[in-house]
Amino acid sequence: MEVALLAFAATLSVMTGMVTGIFEGKVAIAAVEAIGKNPDAAGKIQSMAIIGAAISETCAIYGLLISFLIIFVLGNKL
Amino acid sequence: MEIQSTVYYIWAVTGMIALLLLFVNSRLRKFDPLSQPKGVVLVCLMAAQAIENIVRDKTNENLARKLSPYIATVGLYIFVSNIAGLFALESPTANYSVTFTLAAITCILIEVCSAKARGTGGYIKSWFEPFAPFVLINVISKVSTLASLSLRLFGNIISGGILMKVIYAMLAAVSSAIPLLHNFNLIGVIVAPVLHFYFDLFSGAMQTYIFVILSISFIGKELPSNE
Repeated sequence: MEVALLAFAATLSVMTGMVTGIFEGKVAIAAVEAIGKNPDAAGKIQSMAIIGAAISETCAIYGLLISFLIIFVLGNKL
Repeated sequence: MEIQSTVYYIWAVTGMIALLLLFVNSRLRKFDPLSQPKGVVLVCLMAAQAIENIVRDKTNENLARKLSPYIATVGLYIFVSNIAGLFALESPTANYSVTFTLAAITCILIEVCSAKARGTGGYIKSWFEPFAPFVLINVISKVSTLASLSLRLFGNIISGGILMKVIYAMLAAVSSAIPLLHNFNLIGVIVAPVLHFYFDLFSGAMQTYIFVILSISFIGKELPSNE
């Protein structure tokens, strides 16, 4: 029973990646549109898109870390 | 007290970087400044110029000369650590102590640059901006910079490492079903290089770039004006 609850908790915390995935796709869409409108600024837009994607990805990484903690720290205590 | 295995991996990575730099140094000493650069020397010149251009974009001319050696060192160390999985080592950056140390150095550097740019009075005042009770929020924002810089790198690298271990175990289980192989991980040999390319090389280079760019952006944000 406890194992199932822990597995469920780990799965829930990794679900932060769902929303992050959608909106990282939106970052890519915005970058492509911006390059289409203004091809001269491609280099700047590219680096800003990468930074934006990385910062929004942090949220998903936190969820992943928490699920690792649940599995490896709490799981060892069972 | 038992020494953690990560310490040996850190030594190995440091030794690799030292050997690489000794090799580059010997080439640079032999190089005649008046001749056309090529080979290793050309690569070094281009990398140095690229890093200095990136730093100059985000900060000013004066700071670019002082900061670019630090940025280049951190970038090289993080990159070699991230791709250590290719040399049958574990990544030192998959240990939170290492990434926390790197992020702490960057955070102290941000504060020092801010203090130098604003002067002592202006620096103390910047903690109480826009008015006095905001000191709590300013402290939280500084701590969250440290946490997000270190945890981003750590999380990305350790998730890649754990995923690779899980995939290796799965492929070993699959290929043990093939007869006449005697537990030789045949499918793993075929599939793993592609995944190593993604998780080690691509993700490692990406995270290095992001760490470096974010460090410079945070430092540039503290400077009074970018003309």
